[in-house]
Amino acid sequence: MLQYLIIQLDNTSTSFCHYSNTKNRPLLITLDNLKNGILFAMKENLMVQYVLPDYELPAEYIEAMESIDNTKIASYQSVYANNADIVVLNGWNKEYLFDKDDVYVLRVDKKELFGKCSEIKEKIKMCRRLNIVITDVETFTDVDFELYRSVLKEFSIALEDSFAADFVAQLNVLTDRMMLDKMNNCNAGCDSITLAPDGRFYVCPAFYYENEYNIGSLVDGLDIKNPQLYRLEYAPICRHCDAYQCKRCIWLNRKTTFEVNTPSHEQCVVSHLERNASRELMMSVRERVEFLSDKEEIKDISYLDPFDLRDEWL
Amino acid sequence: MEKIKENSSGWSNGMARNITFIVTKDCQLACKYCYLVGKNSNERMTWEVAKQAIDYILSHEDDFKEESVIWDFIGGEPFLEIDLIDKICDYVKIEMYRRNHHWFNSYRFSFSTNGINYHTESVQNFIKKNIEHLSIGITIDGTKRKHDLNRIWKTADMKKGGGSPEEERGSYDDVARNIPLWLEQFPNAGTKVTISSADIPYIKESVLHLYSLGIHEVNINCVFENVWQEKDDVKFEEQLLELADAIIDGEFYKDYTCSFFNENLGKPLDRKLQNQNWCGAGKMLSIDAAGNFYPCTRFAQYSLRDKRAWMIGNIYDGIDKNKLRPFLVLDRCIQSTLECIECEVAEGCAWCQGENYDSADTSTIYQRSTAICKMHKARVRANNYYWNKLFRKLEFKGIAKKESVDYAKLSNSNNLIC
Ligand code: SF4
Ligand code: SF4
Repeated sequence: MLQYLIIQLDNTSTSFCHYSNTKNRPLLITLDNLKNGILFAMKENLMVQYVLPDYELPAEYIEAMESIDNTKIASYQSVYANNADIVVLNGWNKEYLFDKDDVYVLRVDKKELFGKCSEIKEKIKMCRRLNIVITDVETFTDVDFELYRSVLKEFSIALEDSFAADFVAQLNVLTDRMMLDKMNNCNAGCDSITLAPDGRFYVCPAFYYENEYNIGSLVDGLDIKNPQLYRLEYAPICRHCDAYQCKRCIWLNRKTTFEVNTPSHEQCVVSHLERNASRELMMSVRERVEFLSDKEEIKDISYLDPFDLRDEWL
Repeated sequence: MEKIKENSSGWSNGMARNITFIVTKDCQLACKYCYLVGKNSNERMTWEVAKQAIDYILSHEDDFKEESVIWDFIGGEPFLEIDLIDKICDYVKIEMYRRNHHWFNSYRFSFSTNGINYHTESVQNFIKKNIEHLSIGITIDGTKRKHDLNRIWKTADMKKGGGSPEEERGSYDDVARNIPLWLEQFPNAGTKVTISSADIPYIKESVLHLYSLGIHEVNINCVFENVWQEKDDVKFEEQLLELADAIIDGEFYKDYTCSFFNENLGKPLDRKLQNQNWCGAGKMLSIDAAGNFYPCTRFAQYSLRDKRAWMIGNIYDGIDKNKLRPFLVLDRCIQSTLECIECEVAEGCAWCQGENYDSADTSTIYQRSTAICKMHKARVRANNYYWNKLFRKLEFKGIAKKESVDYAKLSNSNNLIC
């Protein structure tokens, strides 16, 4: 069921996810479209998430935006970074100042992640939650998978100490799976949709930036064709999977396999490396202290890509 | 004891990998139902492209593990490129031998042709050279009247994009003259007949005509495209009832088959145990003149009306396996509506993944086209009639029903409608 409306306020509003923002020239959503978007959200009972640009918005925009309960996403460079609920870090910089109560999204490519792993690791404990989004997952090779395995190991060591010291730092790629008993994916097109600066609805901002199809407009209404394909039950591989923390990125699915419901090999392996690293971390912490006692142990499995099990389901 | 003729099983019985070379997009004919919307005379495969494709395939043995291979040649009309095909086949044989490839003793060359050039010297030389490893299907739609309705020669004006019905010239005589030679060389050959809306009144006479030409196996199916008019199902059912009477009364069932009648048809399907996909797209590989790979020819641009080609790689970069994943995990229920899943007569209701893709509301292979629904239901009714009548007749003749059912099952277990 739809729960969230993401409003991409400007073409230059930061990406907070796997896609890159391909539009450099500012294009602010019209005030009418903003207000109509808010009205739509109110009528459909949707929570609004604003993705803010770096520059200051006109006062009447801010006034309209605050007419509904909302969450704000802004980049570290944005004038709104201090008011944002989620701050996006585009690329790594060791000078970043973290606030203990804030949630950060770190968008990095594999080269930076592998290269700056020790610096990043030090910051995990300095915020409420860090979400790492790898922006080139689809390019991972077998060598990258091994490197990522070691990066997760390093992060695990840092986290294990903090858990033993009773501070539960959250790092999406390691701690989410421990807490989850069922899938918790991006769910774009199913739980959330995006209103872009052009007044049209998209599955997520990536579909707007990559000139993919829209799913209706404020004028004509929402029109999601084949809506079932965004639901887990209609995802032929994911519905058999227990990498519950996986983003299951609808956009990357579309880009790599042409189908919104079918993930690439690379996405699956990366998510399983995370799943397995979570398992090991959970077991190590449990050897030292009582930890998440209401949660079941994560099972030991022999595959990294559930696609390899397809003969068992078909 | 009286027998019902068994359909010949497909070569290698589904254990073969199908590799299709789209050698040309040109054809002498301009069949009205042809799904190839982008036919043209410019895109001919070069030897360099063909060779590189073969080299790629044979050097990636791990990705092609099936025990056998069918090297398939289609067009347009493949025999327009017989010299290239001859060179390709020679090279394939030499390379499979040289590499000690596991397909060396388990291969076949397969053709679907309009039959017009069948008698020519170059085609005949090729056939003689490869006859042990050859399957050739000639498409003939039935009687002259029925065949000439759709399978017409391309005119000079059509080549330029024009043409009028007055100029239409059917191709029946040009094909029929080659049928005796073909049947002499391939006595068990079958033919494929495609039924569109305008063909319905001619079904019975066409099948019987093909039998009279000496063709014992008629593989016939309705097109998957949404071409059906109101009441077509009623007319279709009437034709099939008449055909059923003719086959049973004339006792053709002893020596001839028609794929419309199949004992395994029209039952509900179990959601779990009978959840397989129908179509083989994704388990095949098609290569076009530019060296691009497709999961099946229907996904090449020249076959698609409304969608972009679904390319899964090319001879230079190889196969992008991610682009094949959706095909390899596709099952029946995930692409079907509840109506299809719960359908009382679902068994045998076919689909083509390419047509599903082309007609889907979004760019997906996960939305089954149901344009054929009413035609399938009509076929099921006629099929029920056929078997009830046939069994009754055999019972009267003293043949136990169970035995007949066993024969019938055997006889129809290998019908592929694609
Ligand atoms: S589909 Fe979801 S995970 Fe992928 S880019 Fe869009 S919002 Fe992010
Ligand atoms: S790991 Fe793969 S199968 Fe599992 S949820 Fe993620 S994308 Fe789906």
